[in-house]
Amino acid sequence: MYKYDHIDQTLVDQRVIQFRDQVERRLNGTLAEEEFRPLRLQNGLYHQRHAYMLRVAIPYGLLSAKQLRTLAFIADKYDRGYGHFTTRQNIQFNWVELEQTPDILAELAKVEMHAIQTSGNCIRNITSDAFAGVAADEYVDPRPVCELLRQWSTLHPEFAHLPRKFKFAINGAKEDRTVLLCHDVGIELKKNPNINNGELTANIYAGGGMGRTPIFGSLIKQDLPWQVLPSYLTALLRVYNRFGRRDNLYKARIKILVKALGPEEFARQVEGEWVQLHNEEIQSKDNFTQAEWGRVAKHFTKPAYQKLTVVSNEAILATTPEAERAAFARWLERNVKPHQVPGYASVILSLKPHGKVAPGDATSAQMNAIADLADQYSFGELRVTHEQNLVLADVEQSKLQELWQAAKQQHVAIPNIGLLTDIIACPGGDFCSLANAKSLPIAKAIQERFDDLDYLFDLGDISLNISGCINSCGHHHVGNIGVLGVDKDGEEWYQITLGGDQGNDASIGKVIGPSFYANEIPDVMTSIINTFVQHRAADEPFIDAYRRLGVAPFKEAAYKNNGKHSKESGKGAIV
Amino acid sequence: MNQQIIYFPKDGKPTVVANEWQIWDGEHDEGGIPDLEHGFHKVLVPFHWWITHHKNPDVLDRVSKGEIGIWFAADDDILKHEDLIETGKTLWPVIGAHFPIFRDGRSFSTAALLRDRFEWQGEVRAIGDVLIDQLLQGARVGFDAFELRPDQNLNVALKQFDLFSVTTQNSWRVQRSTQEVN
Ligand code: HEM
Ligand code: SF4
Repeated sequence: MYKYDHIDQTLVDQRVIQFRDQVERRLNGTLAEEEFRPLRLQNGLYHQRHAYMLRVAIPYGLLSAKQLRTLAFIADKYDRGYGHFTTRQNIQFNWVELEQTPDILAELAKVEMHAIQTSGNCIRNITSDAFAGVAADEYVDPRPVCELLRQWSTLHPEFAHLPRKFKFAINGAKEDRTVLLCHDVGIELKKNPNINNGELTANIYAGGGMGRTPIFGSLIKQDLPWQVLPSYLTALLRVYNRFGRRDNLYKARIKILVKALGPEEFARQVEGEWVQLHNEEIQSKDNFTQAEWGRVAKHFTKPAYQKLTVVSNEAILATTPEAERAAFARWLERNVKPHQVPGYASVILSLKPHGKVAPGDATSAQMNAIADLADQYSFGELRVTHEQNLVLADVEQSKLQELWQAAKQQHVAIPNIGLLTDIIACPGGDFCSLANAKSLPIAKAIQERFDDLDYLFDLGDISLNISGCINSCGHHHVGNIGVLGVDKDGEEWYQITLGGDQGNDASIGKVIGPSFYANEIPDVMTSIINTFVQHRAADEPFIDAYRRLGVAPFKEAAYKNNGKHSKESGKGAIV
Repeated sequence: MNQQIIYFPKDGKPTVVANEWQIWDGEHDEGGIPDLEHGFHKVLVPFHWWITHHKNPDVLDRVSKGEIGIWFAADDDILKHEDLIETGKTLWPVIGAHFPIFRDGRSFSTAALLRDRFEWQGEVRAIGDVLIDQLLQGARVGFDAFELRPDQNLNVALKQFDLFSVTTQNSWRVQRSTQEVN
C-alpha cells in the first residue's frame, strides 16, 4: 500500500491549515457562503438536508486497518457512530459540524488521508478495481498509475474550476469492475509486447457519465505510453476547461462536449493541444519518469505471501462442522473470489444485511472489528468496492472458515454478493438535498421481500441499483434492474429501468413505463423476478434472459397489478 | 477598479503596488479609445476591440508609448488569433485575463496557454471577479499580477502564496516536488 513521503504529508498538513483559515473566514463573515461553497466542496464538505456531510477520499479504494480505525474514531467523535461507503470508493460522514471539519481533516492527515477534491468541479477521487493487484484476471496492476495520477491531480491549479465535476476510473483487468465507460475519462491499462516495447500503455475513453443523459465514453486515444499521461490528460482537460458549457449546469459535463463535437473531432482537438505540449521542452518535463514510477511502484509490490498449495472448496468445506456446511458453502460461492497467488483468496464483506441498515453503512464498532480482521487475515489492508462493500484481498484459503465465523459476529458475512439484495443505493431523500425521493426505504423493503437466501441463490447474478434522483449516484442506469426516484407534483414516485449492466458488456437500462408508488415497488420486483423465473433457460442469468426476451414480458408483468394501489394508500407507505 | 494590485513576479515576492491600468470594457465604441478616468493613461482594451482597431494610427501611437494592453474575455479562443498575439508580444506591456465569476476557471487555461504556448514573457494580470482563494492557483498557472475585487482584504491575500511549500505537478513557477526525492 502506498505510503506518503514527506511531500505528500506536507501537502495534506498544509491543506488542513489552508482549509482551517477558509472556515475561519467563513465563520467570521469575511467569506460569503456563495464564495465559500466551491472551496468547501473541493474539500468534500456538502451542506445536506439536515447537516454538513464530509466525504473523505479513499484513493482507488485502498485502505489500511489503521486508517479504518481512524475513520471509526471520527465517526464516534464527530458524527453519529457510523459512516457510509460510496460507489466511488469514498466514505461519507453525514452529521459533521462546520467548525469541526478542520479538526477532522487534521485527524485524517495523521493517517495519510484527506478529503481533497472529493467533490466540486475539479478532478475527483480516482477510482479503480477493488481487486487491483490480486484479481486472477488482471493483466496490469493499475495502482502505480492510479497513485501517480492521484498526485498529479491533487490541487491541480489549472483545473480547480472546471465546468463540472470530473471523474477518472482506471482498469487493468480483463473484466471491467470500474464501470470504466461511465466516467468522464476511463483509462484502460494494457501491456503488449508489440507496443511501446512491452511497457505499459493506456487506452483513453472520454465523455462517459450517467446523470440525466447517460452516455458511454468513446475511445479517443489508443496505446498511449504511461509516461505521457500527464501531458495528454492536461491537453484533454484543457480542451474541456475552455470549451465545456458553462451556461447550463445540465450540459456542462464533458460527455455533452464530446457528444456535441463528435468523438473524432474532440480527439482531434485534444491531439492538437497535446502535440504542442508534448513537443515543447518545458512541457515534456510533465511526463512521468522511470524514477517516479520506481518510487511509487515499490509500494505496490506483493505482500509476504507464503508458499501455499491451492485448496479446493470441497477440502475447505470438509473442515466445517456438518451443521454449518451449507451456509459456509454459500459464502464461499458468493463472497470469496479467486486470487493470483496459489492458496489465497479475496473475501468480500457484505455491507448489505437484509433490511437492517442502509447499503454501504458501517458502524464504528464494525469498522474497528473489520480493521482487526484485516490485520489478522489480510496484511492489514482492505478495499472499498464500487458496490459499496469491503474486501479483504489476501486471505489464506485455510483460514477462510475462521474468518467467516468472525465476519458473522460483525454481521458482514451475509452471502449475497452479486445477488438481488446486494443493492447499490445512494443516500436519497433521507440525507441528500437534491433527492426527489427516498432510496433507502426502497432498498430495505426489497431486501425484506427477498429475504430467502435459497431463492436468491437460485436467481443468480442480478444487480439492483437505486438512485434518489436523476443525478444517478446509485448508478441505476447500469443496474440490471434500476430504480429511480422521480418527483411528480411534489410526490415521490419510482421509475423502473431494465437491462442495464456493468462490466465488459456494459449497457444502459431502458425505462419500462410510468412510475410507481413506493409501496408498489416490492410487488413490482416480485412480478419482474417471477417473469424471469418463468422464462429463464436453465441457469441463465437475469441479464441474458432480458436480452433474449426483450422488455415486453417484464413490462406486462410489472403493470398487471397497476391500479391496485390508490394514491392515498400508496403514498409513502413504506417510508 | 481597485487602486492597488498584487504583483508577484516569477522569481520575486508578492507585494502590493499601485494599479496603473484601467480596464475598458469596450462599450460605447466610437472608433477611438474613449477618454477614461481622469489621470489614467494606461488602458487594457478588450481583445475583440483590438482585432478591429489595431491598425488605427491613434491606437498604434498610444501602444508605442506603452499605454495600451489587451485583456482576454473568458470565452475568447486565443488559439484562433495566433498571428495577432505573436505581433502583440512586441506591443503590449500587459495582458489581462478576465474572471467573469470566481468559479469560472477558463482564464486559468488562457494564462497557461500564454505562458506555455506563446511563451509570453510580459505581465499576465487576473482581472474581474478575482478573490483571495483563487490567487494561489492563478500564480501557479502563469498570472503574475492580480487586480482583486475591491472588497477583498489585501493583507489576507498576500498570505496565500506561501501556504504550500510542496506541489505535486509542474507549474509555470516550479517543477513538481516529487522530482527532488528521487
Ligand atoms: C449526499 C449528497 C450528494 C450530492 C449532493 C450529490 C450530487 C450529485 C450530482 C449533482 C450528480 C450529477 C452529476 C451529473 O450531472 O451527471 C451526482 C452524480 C453522481 N454521484 Fe452524487 N451526490 C451525493 C452523494 C453521492 C453518493 C452517496 C455517491 C455514491 C454512493 C455519489 C456518487 C455519484 C456518482 C457515481 C454519480 C454518477 C454520475 C456520473 O458518473 O456521471 N454521490 N451526484
Ligand atoms: S442520486 Fe440524487 S438523491 Fe441520490 S445522492 Fe445523488 S443527488 Fe442525492
